[in-house]
Amino acid sequence: MEILQGLWDGFSVALAPANLLWCFVGVFLGTVVGILPGLGPPATIAMLLPLTFSMNPTSAIIMLAGIYYGAKYGGSTTSILMNVPGESASVVTCIDGYQMAKKGRAGAALGIAAIASFVAGTVGVLGLMLVAPPLAKFALSFSSPEYFALMSLGLALVVLLAGRSIIKALLAALVGLWIASVGTDLFSTTSRFTFGQMELLSGIDFVVVAIGVFALGEVLANMESREDTPLLQVPKGLKNLLPTWQDIKDCRFAFANGAIVGFLVGTLPGGGSTIASFLSYGLEKAVSRRREQFGTGVIEGVAAPEGANNSETGGALVPLLTLGIPGSGTTAILLAALVLWGFKPGPLFIPEHPDLFWGLVVSMYIGNVMLLVLNLPLVPLFAQVLRTPAYVLYPLILGVSLVGVYTVSGSMFDLMLLLVFGLLGYLMRKLDYPAAPLILGLALGAGMERALRQSLMMSQGELSILVSRPISAVMLSLAVLILLIPLFGKFNAWRLRALEQ
Amino acid sequence: MGIRSGVLLLAAIAVLPQTVLAQGFKPTRTVDLVVHTGPGGGSDVLARAIAVIAEKEKLLPVRMVVINKPGGNSAVAAAHLAEKRGDPHTIGLFTGVWLQTPLVSAEAKVTLRDLTPIARLVLEPAVIAVKADAPYKTLGDFIEAAKKNPGQLKQSGGSNTSRDNVVRQLLQKSTGARWAYISFPGGGERIAALIGGHVNMMVIEPEEAGEHIRAGNLRVLAQVSEHRLPAFPGVPTLKEAGFDVPVVPQVRGMVAPPGIPKANIDYWEDFCRRLTRTASWRKYIADNQFEDGYQNAADLAKFYDEFTDRMRGILNDAGVKTVR
Repeated sequence: MEILQGLWDGFSVALAPANLLWCFVGVFLGTVVGILPGLGPPATIAMLLPLTFSMNPTSAIIMLAGIYYGAKYGGSTTSILMNVPGESASVVTCIDGYQMAKKGRAGAALGIAAIASFVAGTVGVLGLMLVAPPLAKFALSFSSPEYFALMSLGLALVVLLAGRSIIKALLAALVGLWIASVGTDLFSTTSRFTFGQMELLSGIDFVVVAIGVFALGEVLANMESREDTPLLQVPKGLKNLLPTWQDIKDCRFAFANGAIVGFLVGTLPGGGSTIASFLSYGLEKAVSRRREQFGTGVIEGVAAPEGANNSETGGALVPLLTLGIPGSGTTAILLAALVLWGFKPGPLFIPEHPDLFWGLVVSMYIGNVMLLVLNLPLVPLFAQVLRTPAYVLYPLILGVSLVGVYTVSGSMFDLMLLLVFGLLGYLMRKLDYPAAPLILGLALGAGMERALRQSLMMSQGELSILVSRPISAVMLSLAVLILLIPLFGKFNAWRLRALEQ
Repeated sequence: MGIRSGVLLLAAIAVLPQTVLAQGFKPTRTVDLVVHTGPGGGSDVLARAIAVIAEKEKLLPVRMVVINKPGGNSAVAAAHLAEKRGDPHTIGLFTGVWLQTPLVSAEAKVTLRDLTPIARLVLEPAVIAVKADAPYKTLGDFIEAAKKNPGQLKQSGGSNTSRDNVVRQLLQKSTGARWAYISFPGGGERIAALIGGHVNMMVIEPEEAGEHIRAGNLRVLAQVSEHRLPAFPGVPTLKEAGFDVPVVPQVRGMVAPPGIPKANIDYWEDFCRRLTRTASWRKYIADNQFEDGYQNAADLAKFYDEFTDRMRGILNDAGVKTVR
């Protein structure tokens, strides 16, 4: 009953013309920011923050949240069209999204990304509305040992991301873990692998590596072929540019998977959308009947991570609004915004400001509908980008990559790093090393090392802390199970051969 | 108005800026305010608030824009300011990290002393908090419990050069108790670890703690400040609680590039003084539960030297290698 009353009040807040307008402004800005690689939601919200001082706080939070979840819709665009991950959370989308584009199915990939975002984004808001307080309590039972187990589970997925050779995938993952260790060690303040470069003290930016290895590697590899014809075909006719009914049916599980994994990981203060997208991709592949086709342009491989990425937003707002605890860069700045407007975010925030909470929740439902309406018509438009001939498209990808990296940090050093990782990506392609495990290792490495060392500091060096806690024990066993899957495959193949003989 | 008076007026307008110039420096184009965090970081939010206040209260004749130079734990921003030697239109916001990073990282070559200190603006106090259902009613209880179980109790905090760990080192040294210190990169994770019951104690910012105390999640044992904060009238300071350890301030302030004339230093020092007197600034300080820490350029330089010496000693005691 309380929820119905809250919803009713929320509608009266969110449907006020001014708030509807701000909601639209937010999701529109979010879409634009999402499409542009580099300029992410934290930067946009920070820049707009001064403008919100003279606004009504409800309208302001509705708009800023709109930028936050709106950006996640657009994030997949450059991943699919150009293999340029705009944010860390859309790296996974490159794997199958870009392959779909190469097969002339860019429209379907972009369309399913929008639909999955809508479905999972809405589920995320539902979760925020229905289970926020109890879930926030559950999220608090997660600490370093559980995070270590969660990251191990993520890293175990490397065997699923491997191409033909597991050894090469593991090697790539190790390089990723090594890159993650560059910088100042949090616990001892010692510099690691900085080679006297002060720019490396704070580590290597994830997006620089991802854009280098994926996009630049692709451009360099394609420079070798001298064909003048456009490499990617785009089908004619609007109907062929959108996902088919069969596509949507194929993605039924991916929608649910993305929505749930994304939301749950989002509620953890040490989670984040990158881990959420990798986990849901891995889960999708693990249970899929066409596992071996993943990485060649499978539509679920786009739907699951894109869904997780969007549902993560609803999850991330749970600890922020129920406890005043930010879990990511964007929620940290939303917290700062609430304080600047004179609120005190914390456990009493929702009971004391129900109109603001419910207004925000309902505006997110409305905003998600707006985003779907805004993004689907853009699909055929964006798909036309691929009609450009290679001699225009690849320089364009190069330009987008350079500008994207430069807007993140404004540093020439990062541009040099981008070139180095571009070269690495090219060599890996030539030598048939998969790029995804490297990115996975990089995404999880720092957090995993931290969680392990924190756990051991908590237990005074006892490794048993990792398995004596139930949640962490379950996740670690799952990780081991996933690692054993390829062995079962090998065993099966050997058994079949033996039977034939 | 006759032509003559019109001409006179024009002449007066033409003369006016020159008389101002004769008195000293005044910015003539957009001022860059350099911060060491990306958009949304603590310094960035403060810088954007300063830019808004400066515009609203007409403290500057030109606009002020925030320039983000993240990376190198503040070393990149400090190096950027050092490169801008003599530039009258660039200033920066420093925090405690700017003081600590050059102490422990050989790669960070620019110290605050190599730049031009302008003014200290903010002091961030802290409180020592435990879970509301913890058995410790006073800081003395916690210290006793730590003495009984050496190394068993845990504190969550930032990196080992952060103020949280410095407070721990000072308390450990003066009492002989020992407890573990677990670093978390994000403030959210530190609080989650405390409320989730995974650690026993945290040095927390009053603004973060306030709501959890009101909701009955946390209890404050002592405050790390010279005077009791308005929001915690019943909580003793470290000294009042019987722990005579130096209060380590968390500071924020303004620096300029090296090699700027005295007139420019005076101008920015005056800008900071006027800034801290505005109603908007006072409200900002109160909302965030900061302390007004205004200090002019000369005092700031002295503060810096004392702070660095003390930090070096504390870090060496804690087993952290210092390089300067």
